[in-house]
Amino acid sequence: MNKLWSSTATCRLILAATVVGLGAGCVTSRVEDAREGITGIESDESVVIMAKSYHLGNETEAKYIACIENALARGSKGLRVIPHKQFVDSLFPWFEPRTAPTETKGLPKLMERPGVAARIREQGVRYIIWLDGDTEKVAGGGSLSCAAGPGGGGCFGFAWWQNDSDYNASVWDLEGLESAGTVTADVSGTSFLPALIVPIPLIARTQAAACKGLANQLRSFIISDELT
Amino acid sequence: MAICCTTRPRALQWIRSPIRINSGTYVGDSRSDIGTSLAGTHAGQQHLIATLRTVFMGTLFASLAAGCGSNVVLDPPTIPEPLMTTIPMSVGVRMPENFESFIHEEEVLGREQWKIDLGRSNAVFFAQLFGYMFESVTVVSAADDPSIMSFDALIEPSIDEFEFSVPNQTKTDAFAVWIRYRIKVYDRDGKLVVNWPVSAYGKSLTTAMGGSDALQRAAILAMRDAAALVIIKFDEPALISSISGTSESTAAPVEDGGEATAQATTLAGDDDE
Repeated sequence: MNKLWSSTATCRLILAATVVGLGAGCVTSRVEDAREGITGIESDESVVIMAKSYHLGNETEAKYIACIENALARGSKGLRVIPHKQFVDSLFPWFEPRTAPTETKGLPKLMERPGVAARIREQGVRYIIWLDGDTEKVAGGGSLSCAAGPGGGGCFGFAWWQNDSDYNASVWDLEGLESAGTVTADVSGTSFLPALIVPIPLIARTQAAACKGLANQLRSFIISDELT
Repeated sequence: MAICCTTRPRALQWIRSPIRINSGTYVGDSRSDIGTSLAGTHAGQQHLIATLRTVFMGTLFASLAAGCGSNVVLDPPTIPEPLMTTIPMSVGVRMPENFESFIHEEEVLGREQWKIDLGRSNAVFFAQLFGYMFESVTVVSAADDPSIMSFDALIEPSIDEFEFSVPNQTKTDAFAVWIRYRIKVYDRDGKLVVNWPVSAYGKSLTTAMGGSDALQRAAILAMRDAAALVIIKFDEPALISSISGTSESTAAPVEDGGEATAQATTLAGDDDE
């Protein structure tokens, strides 16, 4: 009885270890920054995360922006983040996809518009971070079939796909009305879906990895950890 | 990884077994504990099961039909108060009939039937927009004679075209909406001084909430885009002076209904594609 229990337990342990060990597909990531000026932020200053305009062909996902907002605000070194919708609405119509400045050269003219500088000051916004990029499936293959009937069901086969998450964040300093630099995250990962009756998804969470990597680097970039 | 490269890419498949509906006799016989009491109502059982079968099949077909398209109803959107100096003019706004009820239907790629109902959205939206922009706004109906009212100008917005695209067409995850509005402004003498096409665009990625939600959001973004364009177009002191007649107008009157847009250099309509 003990031997039987032992072998069953061992099988379960191996299965659990396999599932935990392979629970995530392989991910490779590269996060870099390019600094153009000295940064820093006071406790009463805040940042706002914006997506570059879809008029320019950008397709940054709303959930990625929300992920960066949450990641930047979290932790002991969390930044004060103004929700982008609140910021855009408070400055309507000057940060709409069509009207938002595409270069820092447009900032002085924007600040001269009635009420704009005061509204930005009220919210304590020091940096605008413009996100550009998206997550795309770049390759995939395999074959997987599932069947279901009165007696039960199951799947058999193997499928895989590769996702690339490429994001670029341009940091604009509203104090000097100039660009502070850029941070990029390039994450690639392959997901697998083997199935022998039960499909076991081994998902490479490239977007989540790109969010975490970019947010950490952005925080260091703005706080200027790298210089100290 | 060799297996990855040699296997032919293929979509995931679900092979479903046919759905069977048990007959009335089977149901009755299987419930031996209440068999006696049910014996007298055998015909009633059969009728009940036939009804249930009809309802089930009806629901199934309705679900399949619904999967081939969508019906989107837009609630009137609200726009934030624009960050601008209020234009010191009293204007009348005459809404066209289709601003009270606008429905656009389209068959996408000959398969999906999409219907978007903007309802009163345009009427509410433009009343709100002009209400923020001008010192005084009066909405006049088509039956009202604006010449007996004392406005500095009469504004007539209208829709020239409405188009949208769904992910199947563009092979992306995005829904897009284009609305081409036309803004006509008449001065206090009833002369057409502004005739602008306003091409607005909104785009929204498909979310977990489904396509209808994304299309609705794209339409709202297109309307916000139109609002931004209208505000920018009116953000010209020379234009406002010309319309209200407080300075020498450079505008030549334009005949209504013609293809040509405003002839004046400062007031000429330009396409905002």
